[in-house]
Amino acid sequence: MSTRKDFSRDKSFLIDMTKCTGCRGCQVACKQWNQLEAEQTEFFTGEGYQNPPAMSEYTFTRIKFRDYQKNGQNEFAFYKEMCMHCNEPACASVCPVGAFVKTEEGPVVYKSERCIGCRFCMIACPFNVPKYEWSKAFPLVKKCTGCYSRVKEGFAPACATACPTAITYGPREEMIKEAERRLGQYPDRYIHKVYGKEEAGGTSVIYLTNLPFDELGFKPVTMRALPGYTWDALRLVPGIFLAVGGGLSALSWFTHRRERLKREQAGEMVTESSAPQIEDTDRKEEQ
Amino acid sequence: MTNHWNDIQHADVILCIGSNPAENHPISFKYVEKAMDRGAKLISVDPRYTRTSSKADTYAQLRPGTDIAFMGGLINHVLQNDLIQKDYVVAYTNAAFLVDEKYDFEDGLFTGYDAQNFRYEKTNWKYQMDAEGNPVRDDTLQHPRSVYQLLKHHYARYTPTKVCEITGTSIHDYLEVARTFCATGTPKKAATIMYAMGTTQHTHGTQNVRSYAMLQLLLGNVGIAGGGINALRGESNVQGSTDYAILYHILPGYLKVPTYDNVDLATYNETWSPKTNDPKSANWWSNTPKYMASILKAYWGDAATAQNDFCYEYLPKRSGNYSFIPLMERLQAGGFEGMVCMGTNPAVGGPDASSIRKGLGKLKWLVAADLWETETSIFWKAPGIDPKQVQTEVFLLPAASSVEKEGSISNSGRWAQWRYKAVKPPGDAESDAFIIDQLYKRIKALYEKEKGVYPEPVVNLAWNYGSGHEPDIDLVARECNGRFTRDTVVKGKAFKKGDQVPNFTFLQDDGSTTSGNWLYCGSYTPEGNMMQWRNDADPTGMEMYHEWSWCWPLNRRILYNRASVDINGRPWNPKKPVIAWNAATRKWEGDVPDGGWAPMAEDGTKYPFIMIAEGHGRLFAAGLADGPFPEHYEPMESPTPNLLTRQQCNPAVATPGKISTSDKFPYIGTTYRVSEHWQAGAMTRNLPWLVELVPDMFVEISEELAKWKGFENGDIVSVSTERGVIEARALITSRIKPLRVGGQLMEQVGVPWHFGYAGMAKGDSANDLTTAVGCPNTTIPEYKAFLCNIEKGGKKA
Amino acid sequence: MSAARIVKEVKGYHAFIKFLIGIVMVGVIAGMVRFIFGLGVTTNLNDTYPWGLWISFDVVTAVPLAAGAFTLGAIVHVFHIKKLEPLVRPAIVTGFLGYSLVCVGLILDLGQPHKGWQVLRPDYWNLHSPMFEVSMCVMAYTTVLFLEFLPPVAEKFGWHVPLRVLRWLEMPLVIAAAAISTLHQSSLGTFFLIAVDKLHNLWYSPLLPLLFWMSAICTGMCIIIIEATASHKYMGQPNEGELLRTLAKILPWALGAYLAVRAYSLIFMGKGPYFDRPGLTFSFMLELGIGFILPFIMFMQKSVRENDRRRNIAALLVIGGLVLNRFNVSMFGMMNEAEVYFPSIIETLVTLGIIAAHILLFVLIAKYFPIFEHHPETVDYTIPDRLHRTGEHKEKKSYKEQPVSQES
Ligand SMILES: Nc1nc2c(c(=O)[nH]1)N[C@H]1C(S)=C(S)[C@@H](COP(=O)(O)OP(=O)(O)OC[C@H]3O[C@@H](n4cnc5c(=O)[nH]c(N)nc54)[C@H](O)[C@@H]3O)O[C@H]1N2
Ligand SMILES: Nc1nc2c(c(=O)[nH]1)N[C@H]1C(S)=C(S)[C@@H](COP(=O)(O)OP(=O)(O)OC[C@H]3O[C@@H](n4cnc5c(=O)[nH]c(N)nc54)[C@H](O)[C@@H]3O)O[C@H]1N2
Ligand code: SF4
Ligand code: SF4
Ligand code: SF4
Ligand code: SF4
Ligand code: SF4
Ligand SMILES: [Mo]
Repeated sequence: MSTRKDFSRDKSFLIDMTKCTGCRGCQVACKQWNQLEAEQTEFFTGEGYQNPPAMSEYTFTRIKFRDYQKNGQNEFAFYKEMCMHCNEPACASVCPVGAFVKTEEGPVVYKSERCIGCRFCMIACPFNVPKYEWSKAFPLVKKCTGCYSRVKEGFAPACATACPTAITYGPREEMIKEAERRLGQYPDRYIHKVYGKEEAGGTSVIYLTNLPFDELGFKPVTMRALPGYTWDALRLVPGIFLAVGGGLSALSWFTHRRERLKREQAGEMVTESSAPQIEDTDRKEEQ
Repeated sequence: MTNHWNDIQHADVILCIGSNPAENHPISFKYVEKAMDRGAKLISVDPRYTRTSSKADTYAQLRPGTDIAFMGGLINHVLQNDLIQKDYVVAYTNAAFLVDEKYDFEDGLFTGYDAQNFRYEKTNWKYQMDAEGNPVRDDTLQHPRSVYQLLKHHYARYTPTKVCEITGTSIHDYLEVARTFCATGTPKKAATIMYAMGTTQHTHGTQNVRSYAMLQLLLGNVGIAGGGINALRGESNVQGSTDYAILYHILPGYLKVPTYDNVDLATYNETWSPKTNDPKSANWWSNTPKYMASILKAYWGDAATAQNDFCYEYLPKRSGNYSFIPLMERLQAGGFEGMVCMGTNPAVGGPDASSIRKGLGKLKWLVAADLWETETSIFWKAPGIDPKQVQTEVFLLPAASSVEKEGSISNSGRWAQWRYKAVKPPGDAESDAFIIDQLYKRIKALYEKEKGVYPEPVVNLAWNYGSGHEPDIDLVARECNGRFTRDTVVKGKAFKKGDQVPNFTFLQDDGSTTSGNWLYCGSYTPEGNMMQWRNDADPTGMEMYHEWSWCWPLNRRILYNRASVDINGRPWNPKKPVIAWNAATRKWEGDVPDGGWAPMAEDGTKYPFIMIAEGHGRLFAAGLADGPFPEHYEPMESPTPNLLTRQQCNPAVATPGKISTSDKFPYIGTTYRVSEHWQAGAMTRNLPWLVELVPDMFVEISEELAKWKGFENGDIVSVSTERGVIEARALITSRIKPLRVGGQLMEQVGVPWHFGYAGMAKGDSANDLTTAVGCPNTTIPEYKAFLCNIEKGGKKA
Repeated sequence: MSAARIVKEVKGYHAFIKFLIGIVMVGVIAGMVRFIFGLGVTTNLNDTYPWGLWISFDVVTAVPLAAGAFTLGAIVHVFHIKKLEPLVRPAIVTGFLGYSLVCVGLILDLGQPHKGWQVLRPDYWNLHSPMFEVSMCVMAYTTVLFLEFLPPVAEKFGWHVPLRVLRWLEMPLVIAAAAISTLHQSSLGTFFLIAVDKLHNLWYSPLLPLLFWMSAICTGMCIIIIEATASHKYMGQPNEGELLRTLAKILPWALGAYLAVRAYSLIFMGKGPYFDRPGLTFSFMLELGIGFILPFIMFMQKSVRENDRRRNIAALLVIGGLVLNRFNVSMFGMMNEAEVYFPSIIETLVTLGIIAAHILLFVLIAKYFPIFEHHPETVDYTIPDRLHRTGEHKEKKSYKEQPVSQES
């Protein structure tokens, strides 16, 4: 877990869906850079030309197509799904072996050598990003790497590089500023919201859209950083441990003392009452 | 393109008509969106709601093949509402010219029609001439025989209701396009038109383009920043390949291929050098003799002398149309012994492709040079063909791809950029240069050995590209530019034998210069290979990047840029100057001007449209096969009678055989591309990452048609025409809508044409459906409009 | 023991035990299939449902079902309700088995089981992870249970010194058990706190850890009730009805407290919509109504507490309620309507195998080790050095020589 509080310099994506042409250059560039296998698809697996059906162990990013009518007008919209590279990633917070790490540069990366394969990260991620190698006998988790190997060397991620129009990449505060500038400059073009600024406590992937987020298939998420929900309970652990342990110790010392006092008063009571029981047992043994 | 990709960002209105740049030219959208960020409006006019339409401010649906009706309506809108940029129109177009009294137009036909031969006698399509032999003008534009008045009269029939009745466009959308686009007839506003195959692939494709150009001239949008008439070229180097004459009727640099009656060089020059008596017309093509002499010198080197007409007689002379469709007809008739397909896949890409495949079987031999095993090279394995019956011997030469070799590539903006070899070709693959070089050397050796009928053109060819494994591409580039063949002085400058020619204004007709392509003269100067320039400085601030690669002609980034200024040389829009006249230095500043002559207000200057004999943009154009004004005709196959005149189809096009009729084939078929696949598919259907995205052949139909036919999304359906039947998955979408044409609802079937029977992802080819009929000017096939039927179930069903 | 003797021994078992052995073997085979072919092929888990039956039952449900041990330990030893002492050993055995099998379930579920031990690597520790905490606790607690389980073993084999040490450790162990259990029973609830946007409003609550802990305690007691009656009925053990009545008296309080907290969390801390999905509404009603409220009312009745059968029914209802609750939280409440998860054959067989193994091992342990014979009156817990009773055991006869057979 990262203990950072300032994420303003983290490298971030500004993805302006109003500028996305659905060309899917990003999707292919991602497969190429990460050398991911192509999926076997048939026809289309969603609206428009959508393929593959979902992000998976082979697909770290995908353009989701929306092809529908609204007020008698066609809407042909595209939404790029990928890891959000949360400021405070749920995936990293729940991993028992710290296999997910929020890097200084911004990407949330996965250390496969640590992973034990419990898949808690998959449950925890509010965006359903981590995917599993279901095809393998001993699977690992797979997800967008944020192209850390490129970012580390000062390059932009493969998808951002391939994108002709929609993706801008740079420090988070600048991306947010740019997003807000666009909202201000073209108020009619956008839904007035910078998605990712607050979502899940803030992410390194920021979206602007012209259609309501739910219509595009954005997942509704909490505004609070997710690790906090768990931490609210977990931080009590040492206290509870000490309280329960100490409390019970004290209690038992107290009850035992009372018992001892009682017994001292009652003399042989204990041994006597135990006698028939012993016989009971012996009888059984003799059967 | 008159302009170039980066310049799109300066437009105030962008009209994508007959093109789908978001899908087919994705990078262009970078500039489209830049313009939009600066407040530009994007209009998409397309039969289908495409990924381009999804980004547009206005989308207007139109029926395939009705662009002239649509554009004619816009021209009418401009003229009726007087929205033209008058100063521009009067000064720079032929609007004020008077047309011959005998020119006429009646019920769909222009004067001089010869119904027997489907052609026009164009003698009366001309201007009235004054005593000096110059066109008579009426600058008030009031004369009834002025181009302007004829134009107005011609398009008066194109009323909004009429237009929408023909095109099926909703009147609301149509008027919105009219209002938005036609508001750019002021000096301060620029509109650009991005067009491509939706425009050209029609039996009136050239006239479609003309109609766009005319509207742009009327609005003063040609020559200016953010304006122009911009063809989004197709294959990555298709601009280069036409510049270098991949077509049958031109030589490099768009010099005409001699016809059979151009018996000698003098006759050739006489025929093809246009003439004008107007001293103010630059009439650039009058330089043809210089360019011809230089190219002949480049071809035959020292063997070409002034005495032997520079070997002019070696050039083949044409006596007919050798374009793709007639070639394929001849193929099918068994007219060829052998064929070489270098980087082309006609078995999928050609119209009426199943006939082409049958034709291939009549060859003795076929050579295919390609990166992949394509449908063409395995045509003998095509469905329905019995390999045992095919006698053709097929040679597949593995070719190196673009990243596996070095050379130049010219984009739509005419920028010639040098590319370097990134990796070695795999296996036995060799560059096309190697293949051609070997072919040539072996043919030459055979001629030298066996002599033959006419060995000279071959054995005398100047072929000096080093002694390496393959031709030295640097030497090829130098030759394309051209050099001096002897010590000489031109325009007061002294040159040595062997010096590179600085640019085409130095080319001579006396054999002292060579140039493989006059348009590229200037690309490899004494300073070096300009195509390798990589300086992204932008001193003009207008995104012209004069030091980034090199652009023909003369590194001029915007053609006809002297029309971007008023007659005093001041930019129409000072905020977006392309060039501006500096009165103090008496020089143009900004882009390389279309000739350095002073502004039009001064004496001794020249008109801006220097490639045209009369020097003015042509609203009335006499040169085309099918009329001086674009006129709406129905496509060869259409579900409706022509609602404008009684002339159903383009009168200059003969009706071919195998025509679908609307009783049997009630739906409008149209073919197009998707981002995810490339052309005939070899390049993408063999790439798993792209196959994943679009794995199967599909057709797009409206929800209404699907309901009527009882189709579910993804159902296997078969689409048929008189030429053939194909099978595909039905994609049911509201993006395709029926059109209301002449009061009737008409359905469309959208068919991507990327599939075939070779490669990883296989599927039926759209071109088994299309018609082998083309535009009378270019013979480009009418891929975009035909009649078809659609039924549930596969082909066997 | 020679192989022949084992075979003979096994042959003598009751048909039910043989049946259990069969199921366990099928489960073992299913487990092997899972390792050979991988999770993807053998389970119905996928990217939408990365957790299935094994996590929901073998871990999330099995742990509270094994809560009897620490609950009873605390009641008996800490609150000194000595009457219940005879139930402690069976509870510990149940707990020990339960936790061991939780570990087995986890190993099966892990994609990288060979790396499971890495949870212990200090350089990998992640204190923010409830999974880390639960893993550590489960391991610690299994160890504690093992130690607690050792006395009957030591008794059986007559190991004096270890027995002494164990006796001496008993109190600390009981307290550690309670503390550790409190932590991980509740932390299982903490797991789902992170699923704010996924778990349905009917179950999501910041108090999930507390609720998990409280319901585990209730269930622990009910398990003891069932176990004691069952072993009385089927294994010829003495009727502990008297003791169970005492336990049953505690239950209404525990259940009442649980229901109160549950109601509070739902009414004051939750957010709607609650009843937007009929299936979930039904499951919720079933869980709360039949699984908690009904037994709560039942346990308040003396007639229920005093009557073996009715008491059992009430206890069973609570157990059912807990099972449903754990499934609701970890599975149903997180499902989307479009895609439904249903365990595969292999998953089901493995889980059945684990359940069967639990019963089987319990029966066998009960058969060979003195877990029921242990009554508090035989040992004075307050003075761990008086060991005469065990000593006598050794001298008289050893269980080793004379196996006890139910059928005799
Ligand atoms: N991804 C991808 N990009 C490509 C190619 C490719 O194969 N794949 N090919 C390249 C090549 S060689 C070329 S030539 C270009 C072609 O580029 P485009 O011309 O953009 O390609 P098309 O999709 O064939 O046609 C464009 C649009 O014209 C519409 N259309 C059809 N009929 C008509 C009509 O009558 N009028 C009007 N106004 N529109 C009509 C179609 O619906 C289609 O959306 O693309 C180049 N770029
Ligand atoms: N129905 C329908 N048909 C159409 C069209 C349409 O819109 N509708 N569009 C038409 C248009 S615009 C075009 S341009 C044509 C295109 O038709 P084609 O040019 O026949 O089609 P491509 O698939 O581009 O074929 C190019 C081949 O060159 C190979 N290749 C690539 N690089 C190299 C190289 O460096 N060297 C060599 N030797 N080979 C190479 C590729 O593998 C590919 O097989 O199709 C036309 N056909
Ligand atoms: S989106 Fe999910 S996987 Fe990505 S960093 Fe956030 S929590 Fe982790
Ligand atoms: S599956 Fe791996 S990465 Fe995910 S939480 Fe478990 S150990 Fe961590
Ligand atoms: S950042 Fe890299 S790994 Fe992530 S989606 Fe983009 S290309 Fe793929
Ligand atoms: S590359 Fe950019 S424009 Fe293309 S689909 Fe991806 S995000 Fe959209
Ligand atoms: S495919 Fe190549 S040429 Fe076409 S838009 Fe993309 S980068 Fe440009
Ligand atoms: Mo093309």
